[in-house]
Amino acid sequence: MGKIREVEVLLGPQHPGAPGNVAFLLKLDGERVVDADVVPGYLHRGFEKMMEYRWWEVNVVMSARFCVEDPDNFELAYVKAVEDVYGLEPPEKARRVRTIIAEMGRIQSHLFWLLFIGGVVGARYIPSWAMAAREEILKWYDYITGHRVYHHYMVPGGIRWNIPQDFQERTLKVLRFVERIVNDIKRALFDNKIFQARTRGMGILKASDAIRLGATGPVLRGSGVRHDIRIIDPYEAYDEVEFEVPIGEYGDSYDRCLVRLKEIYQSISIIRQLVGKVSTNGVYRYKIPLVAPPGEGIGRVETARGEYLIHITSTGGQTPYRVRLRTPSMAHLTTVIKHVLKNEEITIADFPVFVKSLDPCAPDLDR
Amino acid sequence: MVLSSIILGLKYLFTRPYTRLVPEKEPPFKTETTRGRHVLFMEKCTGCTMCQRVCPADAIQMVKVEGEWKMNRKKIFPRIDMQRCTFCAMCVEICPTGALAMTDMTGWEMTTDTKETTMYMPYQLTQPEGHKLTVTKQKWIPPPPMFKPKPKTPPKKSTR
Repeated sequence: MGKIREVEVLLGPQHPGAPGNVAFLLKLDGERVVDADVVPGYLHRGFEKMMEYRWWEVNVVMSARFCVEDPDNFELAYVKAVEDVYGLEPPEKARRVRTIIAEMGRIQSHLFWLLFIGGVVGARYIPSWAMAAREEILKWYDYITGHRVYHHYMVPGGIRWNIPQDFQERTLKVLRFVERIVNDIKRALFDNKIFQARTRGMGILKASDAIRLGATGPVLRGSGVRHDIRIIDPYEAYDEVEFEVPIGEYGDSYDRCLVRLKEIYQSISIIRQLVGKVSTNGVYRYKIPLVAPPGEGIGRVETARGEYLIHITSTGGQTPYRVRLRTPSMAHLTTVIKHVLKNEEITIADFPVFVKSLDPCAPDLDR
Repeated sequence: MVLSSIILGLKYLFTRPYTRLVPEKEPPFKTETTRGRHVLFMEKCTGCTMCQRVCPADAIQMVKVEGEWKMNRKKIFPRIDMQRCTFCAMCVEICPTGALAMTDMTGWEMTTDTKETTMYMPYQLTQPEGHKLTVTKQKWIPPPPMFKPKPKTPPKKSTR
């Protein structure tokens, strides 16, 4: 009998180790994963085309759906691009509130990621703690915006409606609760030897390779590159606040995870600096005309997963002429995975941990 | 290290469970701004079809309702397919007369066992009992100021 060298296995889309509705075609040599081809398309809805048929303001509803876990940053990029087309400067208050909403989105996205990373390394208590913290944020969102997951709170020209009277107290209360739980998660998961053994020295991505392969966000910062759109090209109210950009040392899975944990603390700090500066008084929004002037607009933001860019072309109509999106997860799931698997021995048991340390998002990959 | 994780985990064993038993013990979580099922005030509706045009999910169609309607000469009113609706409240925002509003009726309270019952005809869109209005036109009163684009300045002539 001849020896079987390579076996092909389909991991996902209905698999606890798969990151959402996306599948991988793995080539296995014994236990080692030799190669992985991503199989996208389970969530493809043709957003770029759909946005060409809806009004400028209504497309906010579409843009929130690019990424279920972090809808606010995606909304913000679209809103910024439309404001660029109109040549509009939003009110100062709206810029601050939008920054708070976007940072809260980053926290809840990282908490949602903690659920998965806790699950794949076998720390079953982490998911329930992380979800408890996220639930408080979702309740806060429901109170401010009216919805828990898709908020549609940012509109071109400002925020949809005014903030409530007790905005400041509620926000600070939620942050206190989240910080307490994240402290516990840090002690229980990140200081844990088992977690370190599963992630340290695994899935190493050098800084030069990360730049070459198009990695952005915590994956790039985990490799030691201090690249953050909030710093290099400040938008909204980020130039008013002081915060650090955490970076990793070795570029392995543990560094990427640690960067995300530190980002939660930085986001909490950003919100605390801004929340005292907003009040219910003042203009919160400018209504935009139905027809946009001809021209182009660009929105570039730092989402929880990396750099996101949206480019809109207008020919002077009620709807965009063409919309183009650059989402972060595509590069992470295609080039980065292939590069690491080629250079390193990763077993099938470690593969979900490695993939989740990249924190891909299936809807933003397929869109 | 591992032991401290276990001790921390034990601490959480004695805290109150965070999950809630809905609907047996507690009602679903809602706030004063929760966007839920629509309410149509038929006497205010003018049949201008703006709600139909703005709907991103194409959940609203206009249907004819016989009767005496002073405001609505064409006698057309919106019917809403709750299966398609994303509860974005764009229709409430754009309605010029404030005829549409939203209540805090969401989630399992709206579940039905047939597909046909997800379509709400205009006369079915009354305020459900025990649910209060959350998003109304009042949210945008006073209306936000209109953006006026700056007039384009002609490029300066070169002095050369």
